[in-house]
Amino acid sequence: MGQNMNITPLHSWHVNQNANMAAFGGYEMPLWYPTGAKAEHLAVITGAGLFDTSHMAVLSLHGPAVRALLQRCFSKDLERCIGPQKLPLIAGRCVYGVFLDTAAGVIDDAIVYQYGDEAYMIVVNASMGGPITAHLRSEQGDTPGAMISDHTDQVGKMDLQGPASARILKRILKDPAAVFEKMIYFSFKGSFNADLLPAEPVYLLDGTPVMVSRTGYTGEFGFELFVAPRHIDTLWHQLLAAGEPDNIVACGLAARDSLRAGAVLPLSHQDIGPWRFGCNPWLFVLPHSENGTTFTKDFIGAPALEAKGDIPCTLPFAGYDPRKIPVSDKSLVTDQDGKPIGSILTCTTDMAIDRIDGAIVSLATPRENDRPESFTPRGLCCGFVRLERMLPAGTEVVLTDGKRKLKVEIRDDIRPDRTARKPMQSML
Amino acid sequence: MKELEALNLPDNIGYTDDHEWAQITGETVRIGVSDYAQDQLGDIVFVEMPAVGDQFSKGDEFGTLESVKAVSELYIPMSGEVVAVNTALEDSPELINEDPYAAWIIEIKPADAGEYQQLHTAAAYLDLLKG
Repeated sequence: MGQNMNITPLHSWHVNQNANMAAFGGYEMPLWYPTGAKAEHLAVITGAGLFDTSHMAVLSLHGPAVRALLQRCFSKDLERCIGPQKLPLIAGRCVYGVFLDTAAGVIDDAIVYQYGDEAYMIVVNASMGGPITAHLRSEQGDTPGAMISDHTDQVGKMDLQGPASARILKRILKDPAAVFEKMIYFSFKGSFNADLLPAEPVYLLDGTPVMVSRTGYTGEFGFELFVAPRHIDTLWHQLLAAGEPDNIVACGLAARDSLRAGAVLPLSHQDIGPWRFGCNPWLFVLPHSENGTTFTKDFIGAPALEAKGDIPCTLPFAGYDPRKIPVSDKSLVTDQDGKPIGSILTCTTDMAIDRIDGAIVSLATPRENDRPESFTPRGLCCGFVRLERMLPAGTEVVLTDGKRKLKVEIRDDIRPDRTARKPMQSML
Repeated sequence: MKELEALNLPDNIGYTDDHEWAQITGETVRIGVSDYAQDQLGDIVFVEMPAVGDQFSKGDEFGTLESVKAVSELYIPMSGEVVAVNTALEDSPELINEDPYAAWIIEIKPADAGEYQQLHTAAAYLDLLKG
């Protein structure tokens, strides 16, 4: 382990499992366990996977000025962000968005959770707790009314993801029926620290208070679970034991990366980062007016976003087999004649999908929707490219490391039949 | 990851610095990757192999192994002409993870069988891994 490398409370468990460990966001984290990244990826599509995500940072914000501060700094319009009717964010709901700088570059992506009119929680990426706290404090300046606290390494977080997640979680919750009632996508219940962020409590059978959020970053059905750090080890083992009948597996960051790429979710600082946000699959984080021509609020980065001029486009792609071109100094995207047209941001293999007559089919694709009875996907290369200009879905481009060449297709979407938004009742 | 002592390193084959192995099987030589290599790479999802008849000099790149996180070049331990490729790996690349010695990748007719003597023994290869 390198010097100055952070670890999560589960680090020794990962090492004892002989996980392949690597540095990520300043933390030494498991890439995969002896199970293998492919089996881990497939478990989240067909059963359940458990990810240690305690490297992510949690902030709490309290005070009458917090909502206005978030309206200025966060890309989502908190007054118009919930559901098709664009209702205001309320207690028990959360939203995904980005923090932009004045040049509309992404500082980080985040989920903002509302606990009360003056109480919020924000989850940002590993090692970003400090920078986002500093950014918010600097924007608040001397104006009173917003207390911002960085709880990096003081919250235990794990993600239970996959279609069996609710059945597994149900076995360790004190009152699962109450917890799962009306628990729609991007809602949450409970608190990991009732003094800090009071909420109607949710308890495990053993009495541990837990925050259950119906979110995740795999594109599949599941939960993010937050507890005080002293409870993380117990919760981890309770879930592994409760998930045994459903073949739950501990999953590393490699599976998380391939799952999120197939679900067209960006990795912060890789697919979105310190370059002008725009022309990408994630414009839904911006507060567009109904006709899409203006923003519904003023916020940091808005003038830069509205500035005229062509900017590079970030587009999803999928290949035709599992082969990848690793991202390096030499990797680039060319057109079919070999002319450079852009760079590769993410290139990984979604192991749950393959092509049948050109169309992408997933292990989760229902039988009646063209999944053959014996479907053993080899996996498809997929990820994101950043091109000089927009190209329509279906266009073929070439990824190369200067030596190997790989033809891939620009896509609107990658892995079909994702389960993240399935109704709770259908998953119990 | 496996502890070095837990690696399966058979004695009847020769090893390279790049973690390939070569095994003399009569007139031909089978070539694959070591237990250390498959363990480090993780799940192998694709094997790019040369064509039968391709000629290589010792140290040439003869294919690539794609794992979930990386693409690794394969370097040939001995000079020769490819006489067979393991087509079972086209549909089941994971065979290399399951048994990297049963799952040979290519078979060559060596140009100079004496090159085998330059490969590491299992003990020397283990010393190399220990650094």
